Amino acid sequence: MTDLAFLSVDRARSGDGFEPRFASPLARALNGTAKVRDLSHVGKIEVRGDIDAIDVEAEVVRLGPSRALVLCDYERCAGLRERLPGLVIDLTGALAGLELEGVRAMHRLTDLDLDSLPAAGKVAEVPAIVLRDGDRFRLFFPQEVGHYLAEVVLDALEGPL
Amino acid sequence: MRLPPQPHERIDRSQRISFLFEGTPVEAFAGDTIGSALFAAGRRVFTRSFKYHRPRGLLCCSGGCPNCMMQVDGVPNVRVCVEPVREGARVRPQNVAGSLERDLLAAVDRFGGPFTPVGFYYRTMIRPRRFWPHYERVLRNIAGLGSIDKHAERSDRYDTEHRRTEVLVIGGGRSGVEAARRAAEQGRDVVLVDDRGAPEVAGVEVIAPASAIGIYEGGLVPVDAGHVLYRFRAERIVIATGTVEQPLLFPGNDLVGVYLSSAVRRLVDEWSLKPGTRAVVIAADKRALGVTEQLQRAAIEIERVVDLREAQPRRIAVEGRNLRAVSIDGRETPCDLLVMSGGHQPAYSLLAQAGARIEYDAARGIFVPGDLPPDVSAVGSVTGERDGAAVPAASYDGGRGGKCFVCVCEDVTEKDMKRALAEGFDSLELAKRFTTVTMGPCQGRLCHLGSIRLYARDQETVEGNIGTTTARPPWSPVSLGLLAGRGHEPAKRTSIHHRHKESGARMMWTGAWRRPHSYGDPEGEAKHVHEALGVIDVSTLGKLLVRGPEAASFLELLYPNRFGDMKIGRIRYGVLGTDAGRIMDDGTIGRLDGETYYVTTTSTGADTVIEWFEWWNAVWGKDVEIVNLTGALAAVNVAGPRARELLGRLTDLDVSNDGIAYLDAKEGFVAGVPCLILRIGFVGELGYELHFPSPYGEYLWDVLLDHGADLDIRPFGLEPQRVLRLEKMHVLVGQDTDSESNVLEAGMPWIAKLDKDDFVGKWALEHVQERGFREHLVGFEMENGAIPAEGGQILLDGKPAGRVTSARLSPYLRHVIGMAWVKPELLREDSQIEIKVDGSLEPARVRLKPFFDPGGKRLRS
Repeated sequence: MTDLAFLSVDRARSGDGFEPRFASPLARALNGTAKVRDLSHVGKIEVRGDIDAIDVEAEVVRLGPSRALVLCDYERCAGLRERLPGLVIDLTGALAGLELEGVRAMHRLTDLDLDSLPAAGKVAEVPAIVLRDGDRFRLFFPQEVGHYLAEVVLDALEGPL
Repeated sequence: MRLPPQPHERIDRSQRISFLFEGTPVEAFAGDTIGSALFAAGRRVFTRSFKYHRPRGLLCCSGGCPNCMMQVDGVPNVRVCVEPVREGARVRPQNVAGSLERDLLAAVDRFGGPFTPVGFYYRTMIRPRRFWPHYERVLRNIAGLGSIDKHAERSDRYDTEHRRTEVLVIGGGRSGVEAARRAAEQGRDVVLVDDRGAPEVAGVEVIAPASAIGIYEGGLVPVDAGHVLYRFRAERIVIATGTVEQPLLFPGNDLVGVYLSSAVRRLVDEWSLKPGTRAVVIAADKRALGVTEQLQRAAIEIERVVDLREAQPRRIAVEGRNLRAVSIDGRETPCDLLVMSGGHQPAYSLLAQAGARIEYDAARGIFVPGDLPPDVSAVGSVTGERDGAAVPAASYDGGRGGKCFVCVCEDVTEKDMKRALAEGFDSLELAKRFTTVTMGPCQGRLCHLGSIRLYARDQETVEGNIGTTTARPPWSPVSLGLLAGRGHEPAKRTSIHHRHKESGARMMWTGAWRRPHSYGDPEGEAKHVHEALGVIDVSTLGKLLVRGPEAASFLELLYPNRFGDMKIGRIRYGVLGTDAGRIMDDGTIGRLDGETYYVTTTSTGADTVIEWFEWWNAVWGKDVEIVNLTGALAAVNVAGPRARELLGRLTDLDVSNDGIAYLDAKEGFVAGVPCLILRIGFVGELGYELHFPSPYGEYLWDVLLDHGADLDIRPFGLEPQRVLRLEKMHVLVGQDTDSESNVLEAGMPWIAKLDKDDFVGKWALEHVQERGFREHLVGFEMENGAIPAEGGQILLDGKPAGRVTSARLSPYLRHVIGMAWVKPELLREDSQIEIKVDGSLEPARVRLKPFFDPGGKRLRS
């Protein structure tokens, strides 16, 4: 059975004069700002099936009764893919991510209950997974809307709050 | 002129602020409103009325009525009585031809009365119909609520803030504050919203000035705080909106100098202003009668006080065009200030919106809320718990004619209401729609109760039988800018997007995606693919993984095609149909292993297809997983006679025709990046679609251009791609098909395997087969180079015989080619047809085979 290698960012290999380099979909929108942190490089692996059987040392976000997203350092993706149960889909390249600080800005971006995170919902009209640690929030969302969302987040942070 | 400092005045006399009224500077104090400052400067006429252009002055001083609406810094309908002064503000009147003092349109009031009864334009201006646009322009100029600058750009920032709280208190009066304080003391999370400015309360977040504009399903309460729209969801909503003082109805009740008692209180107490010198007071309750204290403090002579609780006059009339005297039951009293009050009606609108029952209390002459929904409560005077008020007459006859206004917003008179009744609009809901009473800016605050009383009197019934009109948001005016908010427009960009921009591509929208239309030379780009080598970003294609033991049977049920017999590593073109057999989407399906299929969809159809797959999987319960990989993978199509040579430079794979044959799917590395390589040919040339992790989009694009430079590789955009696919007569779903199209009539009968047990839409295709084809999708070639418009009519012997779906000039073939739906009799190679192009008929011939490489040799080379 195919291991879907063409999905995994970390499978790229250098050699024969080639040196693959990946780029964040947020890079141009963020333009080096320190106001938010680009998390697009974080490893994101979706697991479908018996998610209670997940037994790895990594952050596991439950997306439903049989779906979970495992967050990890990029370098750990390969190892985790081997150890995770069920259908394992590497979504590292599919989801962009960023971290921001500010409850007020989040109130302007989403109608999710910020006291009941993590949760999946809409952030500035696009689907996202939102995690919270105090006043810091991590957002993971489809990379194709990454540039848009990064602009909106910066705008929300810079607006007259 | 200001009074000496008053005990509770809001102004700070040490801070001066200046603004412009019609270009003239006006001095104000901090704490003033624009209205109070203009009043202090001597202005008494603040606006002209909606229809009759009668002069109007301050009436309520609480932002409830329309009598002080002006244009402030370009924003129309600003109630200046509550709008704080700001340095340099530019204020001007609205709905005026001339000046506030001399408005030419006031002729409507003097001479137009008999000719302009309520609804006159419904019947007098309907013929001839072609004149309506002219009538409309005139009407809109005469009757209006200010004007907007149609060319103005977005100048203000508006935000929406989603909030949750345990307790939301609406109204910052005594009762609201007390309710908030108590809830906070119980450790609840409390927010208090007030439209004027509530005091600070320990443990309570106060948002002011801000107005709750409605209560929606699920307890959603939008709160207008100027430039922020809060969307509150609260576990408990406490309504403390108080009451609305009601006017009395008598001829001349709209004259400048006639005030509600609460307005006089504010003028004196808050802004230290003297609204007149000689006053008459007519009031229905103790609270209003208490205004005499302010009158005395302001040294205003009180000429007469009429306490409606003690005696009801039969006649009230106001003298002259300006207030000079009031005549009550024939006794005339000179005055320049008439303070009136018809009692206080609970401001129940939000409660009604929340689902409370509203009932008439005949003893008190007001409507009161009851049966509150769970999680909503009312406190203070909004509950109607105030007694000692008289019930005023529905109206007081002046005995001398003159207009008696029920609704000052829309200039609806007592006579208009009688006319509505006479015309058969016997319910208040109908009368509302006919006369527009309660539909103006005050949203019924000052006219709802009055209009009910009139209807009850004139129908000889009680107010309870008339009932109230439906309470709907917004309870207070809200700007469209605030409702529009930040205007988010999510745009999808491929991971190669910025390379296209850097290359000077002209970008276009396709659904939510931004895609390159071309790189400046669409015709050249299309031709170059045939002659050398092109590359196009096709990351926007929908991409699905269907995996599981029942993946094959799942797809066989979804598609008319057969998939179970596909060999691993092969690709098949598939057309997805609806239950009714109509074409929904198309794409390729590649079999990666025994249980894994890789499905592509059109760019704009991806979301619909994914939902379709998941919906059917929920119905059938197949053992498959469907994963959306659209964003996970970037994709480029390398196409042209030199495509193999380029790919061979970048991969270890055998790229020969044996290694990767036409319609093969292979996994491997290209320039070090893991790829799924699909050999397909939408553009009609030898081509490879490379699907790979999105983050490598720019890298691989750069590599292809660098390593293909000596092969003369050029990027091409969507427009050249459309020309190329048309040369091959490849159908573009949504372009060449519509909601009625099916695969049989679209010339793809081999797709539909009607011998399969079942698939979505099978019965419908069988029906089409049985009834015979009504039209066919064919190609056509213009004989003289004219390019028909998409949708252009096809004629045969002068009669309609079809429609054009696509047409382009093929720079390679040097012909104008296209596709069209035609009648069955035209399904013959070389049939002569005529196509309407810019009004003239142009000759064309039907083509049944692809215009380019009909045998597909280039694809398979």
